[in-house]
Amino acid sequence: MQPKVLTVSELNKFIGLLLESEPGLQDFWLRGEISGFKLYQQSGHMYFTLKDEESTVSAVIFKSRTRALKFMPENGMEVLARGSISVFNPQGKYQLYVDELQLFGAGSLSLYLQQLKERLEKQGYFNADLKKPIPSFVQKVGVITSQDGAAIQDILKVLRQRHAGIQVIFYHSAVQGMDAPMELAQGLHYLNAWGDMDVIIIGRGGGSWEDLMAFNSEEVVKAIFESRIPVISAVGHETDFTLADWVADVRAATPTQAAQLAAPDLQQLRMEINRSQQRMQAAMEKIYYNRSESLDQLVMKRILKTSGLMQSLQSREDKLQDLTERLLRAANDNLSRRQNQLAMAASGLDKLSPLKVLQRGYAAVRGETGVIRSVQQVSPGDKVQLILADGVLKVKIEDRETGERWKK
Amino acid sequence: MEKIKFEEAMSRLEEILDKLEAGELDLDDSLLLFEEGINLTLFCQQQLQVTEQRMQKLIRKLDGSFELVEVEE
Repeated sequence: MQPKVLTVSELNKFIGLLLESEPGLQDFWLRGEISGFKLYQQSGHMYFTLKDEESTVSAVIFKSRTRALKFMPENGMEVLARGSISVFNPQGKYQLYVDELQLFGAGSLSLYLQQLKERLEKQGYFNADLKKPIPSFVQKVGVITSQDGAAIQDILKVLRQRHAGIQVIFYHSAVQGMDAPMELAQGLHYLNAWGDMDVIIIGRGGGSWEDLMAFNSEEVVKAIFESRIPVISAVGHETDFTLADWVADVRAATPTQAAQLAAPDLQQLRMEINRSQQRMQAAMEKIYYNRSESLDQLVMKRILKTSGLMQSLQSREDKLQDLTERLLRAANDNLSRRQNQLAMAASGLDKLSPLKVLQRGYAAVRGETGVIRSVQQVSPGDKVQLILADGVLKVKIEDRETGERWKK
Repeated sequence: MEKIKFEEAMSRLEEILDKLEAGELDLDDSLLLFEEGINLTLFCQQQLQVTEQRMQKLIRKLDGSFELVEVEE
């Protein structure tokens, strides 16, 4: 039987078809080290060789695929390349047509991370000025981690200890593996869309560098950066930083520490509130003190100036009191309107209150329209209220006397 | 009052303190501020006293909407 004659082209096509029909050589992962890497500027395609100790194979990444690369390939990088085998007909050479490239092994990893970090840094992702502060009183915490890991338990435990009233909104996500970056990023998007959390903790317990890779993914870094809600990263490893740590508003070394950072310091807040109350009391005391002082001085001056009017001293004292009352009435007008609220506060606030001034014998006058500041505001027959330290007198105006003589 | 947040209450309180301590307002205004301040501190204290911890899980449903589900601890 006469052997069949093929042209070279036919042979290469035939072999190409054979290879392409072999499922094991289509869409598989190939591990090897990159060498002879070349990026053709004009076409944008990348050509290189993958090798191990004994063999080499050519590989190409077409321009359309290079855009999806997460790093720039370099000679010496140990990678996993996903692709298919086919024949380059002009040279009768089979090669791997790469669809996706991943780093393999620690050396390449740190190089890759360094590159990514530098690039993201240039884009402003780690800008300290853009970091958001964690609110001092966190009431609602979003947590993104795996429901199966220890991290969520650690976080809940600490939150419970620190602030029993804290609300937790939990989003379950894979924290390692191929799906993890996408799920973590989604968690951030969802919690932001849901809104109304004070802070988000995203993290996981410790693991190998490969386990932590999701927290080094550009996708997660971007999602953290874009979060409106402040983010605490909590990837369980004390010494090394993931890129998520760099971009997060606050970095915690462990999930436990993240919860400590998120949970408010109630003791501190209580002290702050008490301090505010004290300051307010002091300020009000001072205001009242200043007013009543000047009033006393005014009274004395007028009494002295109007010698010969001693006989009407009593009525003047009444007038003075009236003046005083007008000043103080303001306080009581408001006070009585919200007596309940003040009563609640009264225990702590006793000494600041205008009540104390009233206890000195002053009263305030209130009419239908509010504080009575002038005798002109009332007419005989009007009903007004006299506010005293221990209650209110309802009185009817009998007569009024203008205080002209009190004017200078 | 219920709608405001703790942080807002605290920062408003600080504002009130500044004004009161400046001592330039008349009694009426001072007292109004004072009352507001007292109410704010009461509000803040109440907030600190909540004791019920709740855990909820955010689930995305098939139609793309979200749902919060209570989680038993």
